[in-house]
Amino acid sequence: MKQLTNICAGIGSAVLLLGKSIGHAPTLLRQWPRFIEQCYLIGYTTLPIVAILSFFIGSVLALQAGYSMQSFGAKEFIGSLVGLSMARELGPVMVAILVAGRVGSAITAELASMKVYQEIDALETMNIPPSRILVLPRLAAVLVMMPVLTIIGDLVGWLGGAIVSKYTPFIALEPEKYFETLRRFMKFKDVLNGLEKAEVFGFFVVLVCCSIGLETRGGPREIGASVTRAVVVSLILILVLDYFVTKILI
Amino acid sequence: MQNNPQQTARVGLFFLLGVALIWVAFETLSDGKVFKDKGYTIIAGFDNVRELKLGDEVRMAGVKVGSVEETRLTGRRAEAVLRIAPGVIIPNDANATILSAGLLGTNYIGVDLGTPGAPPLLAGAEIKTKITADINTIMAQLGDLGTKLDNALGSIGDAMKGKDGKPGLFQRLDTLLADNGGNITETMKNLKEVSGKLNSGEGTLGKLINDPKLHDELLAAVTDIKSAANNAKGFMTDAQAIVDQVKSGQGTLGTLIYNDEAGQNIKVVTKNLRDISDKLAKGEGTLGKLINDDVLYRDAQGTLKKVDRMVEGLADQGPISAVGVVANSLF
Repeated sequence: MKQLTNICAGIGSAVLLLGKSIGHAPTLLRQWPRFIEQCYLIGYTTLPIVAILSFFIGSVLALQAGYSMQSFGAKEFIGSLVGLSMARELGPVMVAILVAGRVGSAITAELASMKVYQEIDALETMNIPPSRILVLPRLAAVLVMMPVLTIIGDLVGWLGGAIVSKYTPFIALEPEKYFETLRRFMKFKDVLNGLEKAEVFGFFVVLVCCSIGLETRGGPREIGASVTRAVVVSLILILVLDYFVTKILI
Repeated sequence: MQNNPQQTARVGLFFLLGVALIWVAFETLSDGKVFKDKGYTIIAGFDNVRELKLGDEVRMAGVKVGSVEETRLTGRRAEAVLRIAPGVIIPNDANATILSAGLLGTNYIGVDLGTPGAPPLLAGAEIKTKITADINTIMAQLGDLGTKLDNALGSIGDAMKGKDGKPGLFQRLDTLLADNGGNITETMKNLKEVSGKLNSGEGTLGKLINDPKLHDELLAAVTDIKSAANNAKGFMTDAQAIVDQVKSGQGTLGTLIYNDEAGQNIKVVTKNLRDISDKLAKGEGTLGKLINDDVLYRDAQGTLKKVDRMVEGLADQGPISAVGVVANSLF
Protein backbone atom coordinates (compact mmCIF):
# COMPACT_ATOMS: atom_id res chain seq x y z
CA MET A 1 0.00 0.00 0.00
CA LYS A 2 2.83 2.30 0.91
CA GLN A 3 4.50 1.51 -2.39
CA LEU A 4 1.34 2.37 -4.27
CA THR A 5 1.08 5.63 -2.34
CA ASN A 6 4.69 6.40 -3.22
CA ILE A 7 4.04 5.74 -6.93
CA CYS A 8 0.97 7.98 -6.85
CA ALA A 9 2.95 10.65 -4.99
CA GLY A 10 5.69 10.44 -7.58
CA ILE A 11 3.22 10.79 -10.45
CA GLY A 12 1.53 13.65 -8.66
CA SER A 13 4.74 15.58 -8.06
CA ALA A 14 5.82 15.03 -11.69
CA VAL A 15 2.48 16.33 -12.99
CA LEU A 16 2.64 19.35 -10.71
CA LEU A 17 6.20 20.06 -11.77
CA LEU A 18 5.14 19.82 -15.41
CA GLY A 19 2.28 22.23 -14.80
CA LYS A 20 4.55 24.73 -13.06
CA SER A 21 7.20 24.49 -15.78
CA ILE A 22 4.68 25.03 -18.57
CA GLY A 23 3.43 28.02 -16.59
CA HIS A 24 6.92 29.50 -16.78
CA ALA A 25 7.28 28.80 -20.51
CA PRO A 26 7.14 32.52 -21.50
CA THR A 27 10.34 33.09 -19.53
CA LEU A 28 12.30 30.66 -21.70
CA LEU A 29 13.71 33.33 -23.99
CA ARG A 30 15.12 35.20 -21.02
CA GLN A 31 16.92 32.02 -19.96
CA TRP A 32 18.46 31.42 -23.38
CA PRO A 33 22.00 30.77 -22.05
CA ARG A 34 20.68 28.10 -19.68
CA PHE A 35 18.74 26.52 -22.55
CA ILE A 36 21.86 26.46 -24.74
CA GLU A 37 23.91 24.93 -21.94
CA GLN A 38 21.35 22.16 -21.45
CA CYS A 39 21.22 21.57 -25.21
CA TYR A 40 24.98 21.13 -25.14
CA LEU A 41 24.83 18.66 -22.25
CA ILE A 42 21.85 16.68 -23.48
CA GLY A 43 22.58 16.70 -27.20
CA TYR A 44 26.15 17.42 -28.16
CA THR A 45 27.90 15.45 -25.43
CA THR A 46 25.60 12.45 -25.90
CA LEU A 47 26.28 12.24 -29.65
CA PRO A 48 29.38 9.97 -29.62
CA ILE A 49 27.80 7.26 -27.50
CA VAL A 50 24.59 7.46 -29.57
CA ALA A 51 26.58 7.08 -32.79
CA ILE A 52 28.62 4.13 -31.51
CA LEU A 53 25.62 2.31 -30.09
CA SER A 54 23.46 2.89 -33.19
CA PHE A 55 26.21 1.76 -35.52
CA PHE A 56 26.57 -1.54 -33.75
CA ILE A 57 22.85 -2.05 -33.30
CA GLY A 58 22.41 -1.60 -37.06
CA SER A 59 25.31 -3.94 -37.74
CA VAL A 60 24.02 -6.66 -35.44
CA LEU A 61 20.54 -6.35 -36.90
CA ALA A 62 21.92 -6.81 -40.41
CA LEU A 63 24.06 -9.72 -39.28
CA GLN A 64 21.20 -11.51 -37.54
CA ALA A 65 18.78 -10.80 -40.36
CA GLY A 66 21.27 -12.00 -42.96
CA TYR A 67 21.95 -15.17 -41.00
CA SER A 68 18.26 -15.95 -40.61
CA MET A 69 17.17 -14.88 -44.08
CA GLN A 70 19.91 -16.54 -46.13
CA SER A 71 18.22 -19.92 -45.72
CA PHE A 72 15.12 -18.79 -47.58
CA GLY A 73 16.64 -16.31 -50.01
CA ALA A 74 15.26 -13.08 -48.59
CA LYS A 75 18.62 -11.38 -48.08
CA GLU A 76 17.70 -8.35 -50.15
CA PHE A 77 15.10 -7.43 -47.54
CA ILE A 78 17.79 -6.79 -44.92
CA GLY A 79 17.78 -3.12 -45.92
CA SER A 80 14.10 -2.71 -45.21
CA LEU A 81 14.32 -4.73 -42.01
CA VAL A 82 17.24 -2.74 -40.58
CA GLY A 83 15.75 0.53 -41.82
CA LEU A 84 12.32 -0.02 -40.36
CA SER A 85 13.60 -1.49 -37.08
CA MET A 86 16.04 1.38 -36.53
CA ALA A 87 13.65 4.15 -37.52
CA ARG A 88 10.50 2.90 -35.84
CA GLU A 89 11.75 1.19 -32.72
CA LEU A 90 15.40 0.74 -31.88
CA GLY A 91 16.58 4.23 -32.75
CA PRO A 92 14.22 6.14 -30.43
CA VAL A 93 14.29 3.54 -27.64
CA MET A 94 18.08 3.27 -27.61
CA VAL A 95 18.57 7.03 -27.67
CA ALA A 96 16.03 7.43 -24.86
CA ILE A 97 17.80 4.77 -22.77
CA LEU A 98 21.13 6.49 -23.36
CA VAL A 99 19.64 9.85 -22.42
CA ALA A 100 18.15 8.31 -19.28
CA GLY A 101 21.48 6.76 -18.32
CA ARG A 102 23.78 9.59 -19.25
CA VAL A 103 21.70 12.76 -18.91
CA GLY A 104 18.84 11.70 -16.62
CA SER A 105 21.17 10.40 -13.95
CA ALA A 106 23.23 13.61 -14.10
CA ILE A 107 20.11 15.76 -13.80
CA THR A 108 18.83 13.79 -10.81
CA ALA A 109 22.22 13.86 -9.14
CA GLU A 110 22.56 17.62 -9.66
CA LEU A 111 19.06 18.50 -8.49
CA ALA A 112 19.17 16.02 -5.59
CA SER A 113 22.42 17.49 -4.28
CA MET A 114 21.03 20.99 -4.68
CA LYS A 115 17.99 19.87 -2.72
CA VAL A 116 20.04 18.07 -0.06
CA TYR A 117 22.41 21.03 0.33
CA GLN A 118 19.41 23.38 0.53
CA GLU A 119 20.24 25.35 -2.58
CA ILE A 120 16.69 24.72 -3.81
CA ASP A 121 15.34 26.09 -0.55
CA ALA A 122 17.56 29.15 -0.97
CA LEU A 123 16.21 29.72 -4.48
CA GLU A 124 12.64 29.42 -3.24
CA THR A 125 13.41 31.88 -0.45
CA MET A 126 14.58 34.31 -3.11
CA ASN A 127 11.30 33.71 -4.94
CA ILE A 128 13.05 31.98 -7.80
CA PRO A 129 11.01 28.87 -8.55
CA PRO A 130 13.29 25.88 -9.35
CA SER A 131 10.79 24.73 -11.95
CA ARG A 132 11.59 27.89 -13.92
CA ILE A 133 15.36 27.98 -13.93
CA LEU A 134 16.19 24.29 -13.39
CA VAL A 135 13.40 22.29 -15.03
CA LEU A 136 12.05 24.41 -17.90
CA PRO A 137 15.39 24.82 -19.78
CA ARG A 138 16.05 21.09 -19.50
CA LEU A 139 12.60 20.14 -20.80
CA ALA A 140 12.92 22.59 -23.69
CA ALA A 141 16.45 21.40 -24.47
CA VAL A 142 15.47 17.72 -24.52
CA LEU A 143 12.55 18.49 -26.83
CA VAL A 144 14.91 20.17 -29.28
CA MET A 145 17.74 17.65 -29.00
CA MET A 146 15.94 14.32 -29.02
CA PRO A 147 14.94 14.40 -32.73
CA VAL A 148 18.49 15.42 -33.66
CA LEU A 149 20.03 12.56 -31.69
CA THR A 150 17.48 10.08 -33.01
CA ILE A 151 17.90 10.94 -36.67
CA ILE A 152 21.67 10.68 -36.33
CA GLY A 153 21.19 7.33 -34.57
CA ASP A 154 18.90 6.11 -37.35
CA LEU A 155 21.23 7.08 -40.16
CA VAL A 156 24.34 5.72 -38.44
CA GLY A 157 22.45 2.47 -37.77
CA TRP A 158 21.46 2.17 -41.44
CA LEU A 159 25.02 2.80 -42.43
CA GLY A 160 26.27 0.13 -40.01
CA GLY A 161 23.81 -2.35 -41.48
CA ALA A 162 24.91 -1.50 -45.02
CA ILE A 163 28.61 -1.95 -44.18
CA VAL A 164 28.03 -5.28 -42.46
CA SER A 165 25.78 -6.48 -45.30
CA LYS A 166 28.49 -5.70 -47.84
CA TYR A 167 31.48 -7.14 -46.03
CA THR A 168 29.97 -10.23 -44.42
CA PRO A 169 30.78 -13.15 -46.76
CA PHE A 170 27.50 -15.02 -46.35
CA ILE A 171 25.42 -11.86 -46.90
CA ALA A 172 27.48 -9.93 -49.50
CA LEU A 173 24.66 -7.50 -50.28
CA GLU A 174 25.60 -4.46 -52.33
CA PRO A 175 24.81 -1.12 -50.62
CA GLU A 176 22.78 -0.06 -53.69
CA LYS A 177 20.46 -3.02 -53.22
CA TYR A 178 20.39 -2.49 -49.44
CA PHE A 179 19.33 1.13 -49.72
CA GLU A 180 17.00 0.38 -52.63
CA THR A 181 14.91 -2.04 -50.53
CA LEU A 182 15.21 0.31 -47.57
CA ARG A 183 13.72 3.09 -49.67
CA ARG A 184 11.12 0.84 -51.26
CA PHE A 185 9.62 -0.36 -48.01
CA MET A 186 10.04 2.78 -45.93
CA LYS A 187 8.16 6.01 -45.86
CA PHE A 188 9.21 9.24 -44.23
CA LYS A 189 6.27 8.63 -41.91
CA ASP A 190 8.22 5.75 -40.34
CA VAL A 191 11.13 8.05 -39.51
CA LEU A 192 8.71 10.70 -38.28
CA ASN A 193 7.01 8.16 -36.00
CA GLY A 194 10.39 7.36 -34.49
CA LEU A 195 11.18 11.02 -33.92
CA GLU A 196 7.80 11.56 -32.24
CA LYS A 197 8.41 8.59 -29.99
CA ALA A 198 11.88 9.85 -29.10
CA GLU A 199 10.37 13.24 -28.27
CA VAL A 200 7.87 11.66 -25.86
CA PHE A 201 10.49 9.42 -24.25
CA GLY A 202 13.04 12.21 -23.80
CA PHE A 203 10.47 14.59 -22.36
CA PHE A 204 9.21 12.10 -19.78
CA VAL A 205 12.70 10.91 -18.87
CA VAL A 206 13.84 14.47 -18.09
CA LEU A 207 10.59 15.26 -16.27
CA VAL A 208 10.81 12.14 -14.10
CA CYS A 209 14.52 12.70 -13.36
CA CYS A 210 13.93 16.37 -12.40
CA SER A 211 10.95 15.40 -10.27
CA ILE A 212 12.80 12.62 -8.41
CA GLY A 213 15.82 14.89 -7.95
CA LEU A 214 13.74 17.70 -6.51
CA GLU A 215 11.84 15.29 -4.24
CA THR A 216 15.00 13.97 -2.59
CA ARG A 217 14.95 14.13 1.18
CA GLY A 218 17.85 13.39 3.54
CA GLY A 219 21.60 13.37 3.02
CA PRO A 220 24.23 12.31 0.48
CA ARG A 221 23.14 8.66 0.59
CA GLU A 222 19.69 9.68 -0.64
CA ILE A 223 21.32 11.38 -3.63
CA GLY A 224 22.61 7.99 -4.85
CA ALA A 225 19.29 6.32 -4.11
CA SER A 226 17.47 9.04 -6.04
CA VAL A 227 19.75 8.61 -9.04
CA THR A 228 19.20 4.85 -9.06
CA ARG A 229 15.48 5.27 -8.72
CA ALA A 230 15.36 7.93 -11.44
CA VAL A 231 17.22 5.71 -13.94
CA VAL A 232 15.13 2.62 -13.12
CA VAL A 233 11.85 4.52 -13.35
CA SER A 234 13.00 6.15 -16.60
CA LEU A 235 13.84 2.80 -18.20
CA ILE A 236 10.53 1.26 -17.16
CA LEU A 237 8.70 4.36 -18.32
CA ILE A 238 10.43 4.26 -21.71
CA LEU A 239 9.34 0.69 -22.39
CA VAL A 240 5.79 1.19 -21.08
CA LEU A 241 5.38 4.41 -23.03
CA ASP A 242 6.87 2.71 -26.08
CA TYR A 243 3.98 0.28 -26.23
CA PHE A 244 1.28 2.93 -25.88
CA VAL A 245 2.89 5.51 -28.17
CA THR A 246 3.47 2.85 -30.84
CA LYS A 247 -0.15 1.78 -30.56
CA ILE A 248 -1.31 5.37 -30.97
CA LEU A 249 1.01 6.07 -33.89
CA ILE A 250 0.34 2.89 -35.89
CA MET B 1 24.69 33.88 -16.86
CA GLN B 2 26.78 33.97 -19.98
CA ASN B 3 27.54 31.03 -22.27
CA ASN B 4 30.85 30.08 -23.74
CA PRO B 5 30.57 31.18 -27.43
CA GLN B 6 32.12 27.90 -28.53
CA GLN B 7 29.46 25.97 -26.66
CA THR B 8 26.68 27.97 -28.33
CA ALA B 9 28.25 27.37 -31.76
CA ARG B 10 28.48 23.64 -31.13
CA VAL B 11 24.86 23.43 -30.08
CA GLY B 12 23.83 25.45 -33.13
CA LEU B 13 25.88 23.30 -35.46
CA PHE B 14 24.54 20.15 -33.88
CA PHE B 15 20.98 21.35 -34.23
CA LEU B 16 21.54 22.31 -37.88
CA LEU B 17 23.08 18.89 -38.52
CA GLY B 18 19.98 17.24 -37.08
CA VAL B 19 17.65 19.36 -39.17
CA ALA B 20 19.72 18.63 -42.30
CA LEU B 21 19.64 14.89 -41.63
CA ILE B 22 15.89 14.95 -41.10
CA TRP B 23 15.58 16.79 -44.40
CA VAL B 24 17.80 14.23 -46.14
CA ALA B 25 15.72 11.37 -44.78
CA PHE B 26 12.56 13.11 -45.84
CA GLU B 27 13.80 13.80 -49.36
CA THR B 28 15.08 10.25 -49.76
CA LEU B 29 12.07 8.44 -48.42
CA SER B 30 9.14 10.46 -49.68
CA ASP B 31 10.56 11.89 -52.91
CA GLY B 32 9.77 15.33 -51.55
CA LYS B 33 6.11 15.00 -52.41
CA VAL B 34 4.64 16.30 -49.18
CA PHE B 35 5.25 19.93 -50.02
CA LYS B 36 4.52 19.96 -53.70
CA ASP B 37 2.66 17.44 -55.77
CA LYS B 38 4.66 16.94 -58.92
CA GLY B 39 3.07 15.55 -62.07
CA TYR B 40 -0.61 14.84 -62.60
CA THR B 41 -3.19 12.39 -61.29
CA ILE B 42 -5.29 9.84 -63.13
CA ILE B 43 -7.96 7.52 -61.77
CA ALA B 44 -8.07 3.74 -62.06
CA GLY B 45 -11.31 1.96 -61.13
CA PHE B 46 -11.27 -1.66 -59.95
CA ASP B 47 -13.74 -4.14 -58.47
CA ASN B 48 -11.22 -4.77 -55.74
CA VAL B 49 -7.93 -2.99 -55.07
CA ARG B 50 -6.73 -5.93 -52.93
CA GLU B 51 -3.51 -5.12 -51.09
CA LEU B 52 -2.88 -1.85 -52.91
CA LYS B 53 -1.65 0.75 -50.45
CA LEU B 54 -0.79 4.39 -50.40
CA GLY B 55 2.62 4.95 -51.96
CA ASP B 56 2.68 1.71 -53.96
CA GLU B 57 4.43 2.10 -57.27
CA VAL B 58 2.90 2.68 -60.68
CA ARG B 59 5.10 1.07 -63.32
CA MET B 60 4.89 1.42 -67.06
CA ALA B 61 6.61 -1.47 -68.83
CA GLY B 62 8.41 -2.12 -65.54
CA VAL B 63 9.71 1.43 -65.09
CA LYS B 64 8.45 3.43 -62.13
CA VAL B 65 6.41 6.35 -63.41
CA GLY B 66 4.42 7.29 -60.33
CA SER B 67 2.74 6.13 -57.15
CA VAL B 68 -0.65 5.43 -55.66
CA GLU B 69 -1.79 8.62 -53.98
CA GLU B 70 -5.13 7.49 -52.62
CA THR B 71 -7.46 4.51 -52.58
CA ARG B 72 -11.15 5.18 -52.11
CA LEU B 73 -14.57 3.61 -52.44
CA THR B 74 -16.81 5.34 -54.98
CA GLY B 75 -20.27 3.82 -55.20
CA ARG B 76 -19.86 0.13 -55.80
CA ARG B 77 -16.28 0.16 -57.00
CA ALA B 78 -12.84 0.93 -55.61
CA GLU B 79 -10.81 3.70 -57.13
CA ALA B 80 -7.08 4.28 -56.96
CA VAL B 81 -5.79 7.78 -57.60
CA LEU B 82 -2.42 7.50 -59.33
CA ARG B 83 0.08 10.33 -59.35
CA ILE B 84 2.12 10.16 -62.52
CA ALA B 85 5.49 11.87 -62.80
CA PRO B 86 5.64 14.97 -65.01
CA GLY B 87 6.70 14.27 -68.56
CA VAL B 88 5.36 10.72 -68.58
CA ILE B 89 2.70 10.33 -71.25
CA ILE B 90 0.20 7.53 -70.85
CA PRO B 91 -1.85 6.76 -73.99
CA ASN B 92 -5.60 6.74 -73.43
CA ASP B 93 -5.89 3.13 -74.58
CA ALA B 94 -3.31 1.85 -72.06
CA ASN B 95 -4.56 -0.66 -69.49
CA ALA B 96 -3.81 -0.61 -65.75
CA THR B 97 -3.57 -3.87 -63.79
CA ILE B 98 -2.87 -4.62 -60.14
CA LEU B 99 0.15 -6.92 -60.03
CA SER B 100 2.10 -8.59 -57.26
CA ALA B 101 5.78 -7.77 -56.93
CA GLY B 102 6.45 -10.87 -54.88
CA LEU B 103 4.93 -13.49 -52.67
CA LEU B 104 5.15 -11.17 -49.69
CA GLY B 105 2.06 -9.31 -50.84
CA THR B 106 3.64 -6.16 -52.25
CA ASN B 107 1.45 -4.88 -55.04
CA TYR B 108 1.98 -2.33 -57.76
CA ILE B 109 -0.02 -1.01 -60.65
CA GLY B 110 1.31 -2.08 -64.03
CA VAL B 111 0.38 0.12 -66.98
CA ASP B 112 1.01 -1.19 -70.51
CA LEU B 113 2.37 0.97 -73.32
CA GLY B 114 -0.89 1.30 -75.27
CA THR B 115 -0.76 1.89 -79.00
CA PRO B 116 1.76 4.35 -80.44
CA GLY B 117 0.22 7.62 -81.53
CA ALA B 118 -2.84 7.30 -79.30
CA PRO B 119 -3.85 10.59 -77.63
CA PRO B 120 -2.44 10.99 -74.09
CA LEU B 121 -4.49 10.68 -70.92
CA LEU B 122 -5.15 14.09 -69.41
CA ALA B 123 -4.97 14.98 -65.72
CA GLY B 124 -7.98 13.63 -63.84
CA ALA B 125 -8.94 11.24 -66.65
CA GLU B 126 -9.74 7.62 -66.03
CA ILE B 127 -7.46 4.88 -67.27
CA LYS B 128 -8.84 1.57 -68.56
CA THR B 129 -8.31 -1.34 -66.20
CA LYS B 130 -7.96 -5.08 -66.57
CA ILE B 131 -8.69 -7.66 -63.94
CA THR B 132 -6.11 -10.30 -63.17
CA ALA B 133 -6.56 -13.28 -60.92
CA ASP B 134 -4.99 -12.79 -57.54
CA ILE B 135 -3.25 -15.54 -55.62
CA ASN B 136 -6.38 -16.28 -53.53
CA THR B 137 -8.51 -16.85 -56.64
CA ILE B 138 -5.84 -19.10 -58.11
CA MET B 139 -5.70 -21.06 -54.87
CA ALA B 140 -9.50 -21.40 -54.86
CA GLN B 141 -9.41 -22.65 -58.46
CA LEU B 142 -6.68 -25.11 -57.56
CA GLY B 143 -8.93 -26.35 -54.75
CA ASP B 144 -11.79 -26.83 -57.22
CA LEU B 145 -9.46 -28.67 -59.57
CA GLY B 146 -8.46 -30.97 -56.72
CA THR B 147 -12.12 -31.75 -55.97
CA LYS B 148 -12.79 -32.50 -59.65
CA LEU B 149 -9.73 -34.73 -59.85
CA ASP B 150 -10.89 -36.52 -56.75
CA ASN B 151 -14.33 -37.08 -58.29
CA ALA B 152 -12.84 -38.30 -61.57
CA LEU B 153 -10.57 -40.75 -59.77
CA GLY B 154 -13.56 -41.91 -57.69
CA SER B 155 -15.55 -42.56 -60.88
CA ILE B 156 -12.69 -44.57 -62.37
CA GLY B 157 -12.44 -46.54 -59.13
CA ASP B 158 -16.20 -47.18 -59.18
CA ALA B 159 -15.99 -48.32 -62.81
CA MET B 160 -13.29 -50.77 -61.83
CA LYS B 161 -14.88 -52.02 -58.63
CA GLY B 162 -18.55 -51.62 -59.44
CA LYS B 163 -21.11 -49.59 -57.57
CA ASP B 164 -24.72 -49.97 -56.32
CA GLY B 165 -24.78 -53.70 -57.04
CA LYS B 166 -23.65 -53.24 -60.65
CA PRO B 167 -20.60 -55.30 -61.55
CA GLY B 168 -17.31 -53.49 -62.13
CA LEU B 169 -14.98 -53.76 -65.10
CA PHE B 170 -12.99 -56.64 -63.60
CA GLN B 171 -16.12 -58.57 -62.67
CA ARG B 172 -17.45 -58.13 -66.21
CA LEU B 173 -14.18 -59.34 -67.70
CA ASP B 174 -14.29 -62.31 -65.40
CA THR B 175 -17.86 -63.14 -66.47
CA LEU B 176 -16.90 -62.73 -70.14
CA LEU B 177 -14.03 -65.15 -69.75
CA ALA B 178 -16.12 -67.67 -67.83
CA ASP B 179 -19.01 -67.58 -70.32
CA ASN B 180 -16.85 -67.85 -73.42
CA GLY B 181 -14.27 -70.23 -72.03
CA GLY B 182 -15.13 -73.01 -74.58
CA ASN B 183 -15.02 -70.65 -77.54
CA ILE B 184 -11.76 -69.16 -76.47
CA THR B 185 -10.23 -72.61 -76.00
CA GLU B 186 -11.46 -73.60 -79.47
CA THR B 187 -10.03 -70.44 -81.01
CA MET B 188 -6.70 -71.00 -79.33
CA LYS B 189 -6.68 -74.59 -80.61
CA ASN B 190 -7.31 -73.40 -84.16
CA LEU B 191 -4.62 -70.78 -83.86
CA LYS B 192 -2.19 -73.44 -82.65
CA GLU B 193 -3.09 -75.67 -85.60
CA VAL B 194 -2.58 -72.81 -88.08
CA SER B 195 0.75 -71.88 -86.56
CA GLY B 196 1.81 -75.57 -86.67
CA LYS B 197 0.99 -75.74 -90.38
CA LEU B 198 2.87 -72.53 -91.00
CA ASN B 199 5.84 -73.93 -89.18
CA SER B 200 5.87 -77.19 -91.13
CA GLY B 201 5.73 -75.32 -94.47
CA GLU B 202 2.21 -76.33 -95.46
CA GLY B 203 0.07 -74.02 -97.62
CA THR B 204 1.13 -70.93 -99.59
CA LEU B 205 1.97 -68.89 -96.52
CA GLY B 206 3.88 -71.77 -94.95
CA LYS B 207 5.89 -72.31 -98.12
CA LEU B 208 6.58 -68.63 -98.36
CA ILE B 209 7.94 -68.73 -94.87
CA ASN B 210 9.80 -72.01 -94.97
CA ASP B 211 10.88 -72.64 -98.62
CA PRO B 212 14.27 -71.02 -99.41
CA LYS B 213 13.65 -71.37 -103.19
CA LEU B 214 10.60 -69.19 -102.98
CA HIS B 215 12.59 -66.72 -101.01
CA ASP B 216 15.32 -66.64 -103.67
CA GLU B 217 12.80 -66.15 -106.43
CA LEU B 218 11.16 -63.38 -104.53
CA LEU B 219 14.58 -61.82 -103.98
CA ALA B 220 15.42 -62.08 -107.72
CA ALA B 221 12.08 -60.48 -108.60
CA VAL B 222 12.75 -57.70 -106.20
CA THR B 223 16.26 -57.21 -107.67
CA ASP B 224 14.79 -57.03 -111.17
CA ILE B 225 12.26 -54.51 -110.05
CA LYS B 226 15.04 -52.55 -108.45
CA SER B 227 17.19 -52.52 -111.60
CA ALA B 228 14.12 -51.57 -113.67
CA ALA B 229 13.53 -48.77 -111.29
CA ASN B 230 17.16 -47.70 -111.67
CA ASN B 231 16.85 -47.74 -115.45
CA ALA B 232 13.69 -45.74 -115.20
CA LYS B 233 15.52 -43.37 -112.96
CA GLY B 234 18.35 -43.01 -115.52
CA PHE B 235 15.84 -42.46 -118.23
CA MET B 236 14.10 -39.84 -116.17
CA THR B 237 17.44 -38.15 -115.51
CA ASP B 238 18.20 -38.08 -119.25
CA ALA B 239 14.75 -36.78 -120.00
CA GLN B 240 15.21 -34.17 -117.38
CA ALA B 241 18.57 -33.16 -118.90
CA ILE B 242 16.92 -32.87 -122.32
CA VAL B 243 14.10 -30.81 -120.90
CA ASP B 244 16.67 -28.63 -119.12
CA GLN B 245 18.58 -28.16 -122.37
CA VAL B 246 15.41 -27.30 -124.21
CA LYS B 247 14.48 -24.90 -121.45
CA SER B 248 17.86 -23.24 -121.61
CA GLY B 249 17.37 -22.75 -125.34
CA GLN B 250 20.10 -25.18 -126.40
CA GLY B 251 19.76 -27.48 -129.43
CA THR B 252 17.34 -27.25 -132.32
CA LEU B 253 14.21 -27.84 -130.28
CA GLY B 254 15.35 -25.37 -127.64
CA THR B 255 16.09 -22.72 -130.25
CA LEU B 256 12.76 -23.43 -131.90
CA ILE B 257 10.84 -23.00 -128.69
CA TYR B 258 12.76 -20.35 -126.83
CA ASN B 259 14.55 -18.32 -129.54
CA ASP B 260 12.43 -15.39 -130.65
CA GLU B 261 14.44 -14.88 -133.82
CA ALA B 262 13.89 -18.48 -134.92
CA GLY B 263 10.20 -18.01 -134.19
CA GLN B 264 10.11 -14.95 -136.38
CA ASN B 265 11.92 -16.81 -139.17
CA ILE B 266 9.44 -19.66 -138.97
CA LYS B 267 6.61 -17.16 -139.17
CA VAL B 268 8.16 -15.63 -142.31
CA VAL B 269 8.74 -19.06 -143.84
CA THR B 270 5.17 -20.08 -143.10
CA LYS B 271 3.90 -16.88 -144.66
CA ASN B 272 6.02 -17.40 -147.73
CA LEU B 273 4.82 -20.97 -148.03
CA ARG B 274 1.27 -19.79 -147.76
CA ASP B 275 1.84 -17.17 -150.48
CA ILE B 276 3.36 -19.83 -152.70
CA SER B 277 0.52 -22.24 -152.06
CA ASP B 278 -2.01 -19.47 -152.72
CA LYS B 279 -0.26 -18.68 -156.01
CA LEU B 280 -0.12 -22.34 -156.86
CA ALA B 281 -3.83 -22.67 -156.14
CA LYS B 282 -4.62 -19.67 -158.26
CA GLY B 283 -2.50 -21.05 -161.07
CA GLU B 284 -0.03 -18.22 -161.02
CA GLY B 285 3.60 -18.74 -162.03
CA THR B 286 5.18 -21.64 -163.83
CA LEU B 287 4.50 -24.26 -161.23
CA GLY B 288 0.93 -23.02 -160.75
CA LYS B 289 0.27 -23.26 -164.36
CA LEU B 290 1.94 -26.62 -164.38
CA ILE B 291 -0.43 -27.81 -161.75
CA ASN B 292 -3.59 -26.10 -162.83
CA ASP B 293 -3.34 -25.76 -166.62
CA ASP B 294 -3.94 -29.09 -168.44
CA VAL B 295 -2.77 -27.50 -171.70
CA LEU B 296 0.75 -27.73 -170.37
CA TYR B 297 0.11 -31.35 -169.40
CA ARG B 298 -1.04 -32.18 -172.89
CA ASP B 299 1.92 -30.30 -174.40
CA ALA B 300 4.25 -32.14 -172.12
CA GLN B 301 2.62 -35.43 -173.02
CA GLY B 302 3.06 -34.67 -176.72
CA THR B 303 6.66 -33.69 -176.19
CA LEU B 304 7.36 -36.81 -174.23
CA LYS B 305 5.89 -38.97 -176.94
CA LYS B 306 8.16 -37.26 -179.46
CA VAL B 307 11.16 -37.80 -177.25
CA ASP B 308 10.19 -41.44 -176.93
CA ARG B 309 10.13 -41.91 -180.64
CA MET B 310 13.43 -40.15 -181.05
CA VAL B 311 15.11 -42.34 -178.49
CA GLU B 312 13.81 -45.43 -180.19
CA GLY B 313 15.35 -44.15 -183.46
CA LEU B 314 18.63 -43.60 -181.71
CA ALA B 315 18.52 -47.11 -180.37
CA ASP B 316 18.30 -48.53 -183.84
CA GLN B 317 21.28 -46.53 -184.96
CA GLY B 318 23.24 -47.25 -181.80
CA PRO B 319 25.58 -50.08 -182.96
CA ILE B 320 26.47 -48.23 -186.17
CA SER B 321 27.32 -45.13 -184.26
CA ALA B 322 29.40 -47.12 -181.85
CA VAL B 323 31.48 -48.67 -184.63
CA GLY B 324 31.88 -45.20 -186.16
CA VAL B 325 33.15 -43.82 -182.90
CA VAL B 326 35.62 -46.64 -182.41
CA ALA B 327 36.92 -46.27 -185.97
CA ASN B 328 37.34 -42.58 -185.55
CA SER B 329 39.43 -43.05 -182.50
CA LEU B 330 41.63 -45.67 -184.14
CA PHE B 331 42.30 -43.68 -187.25
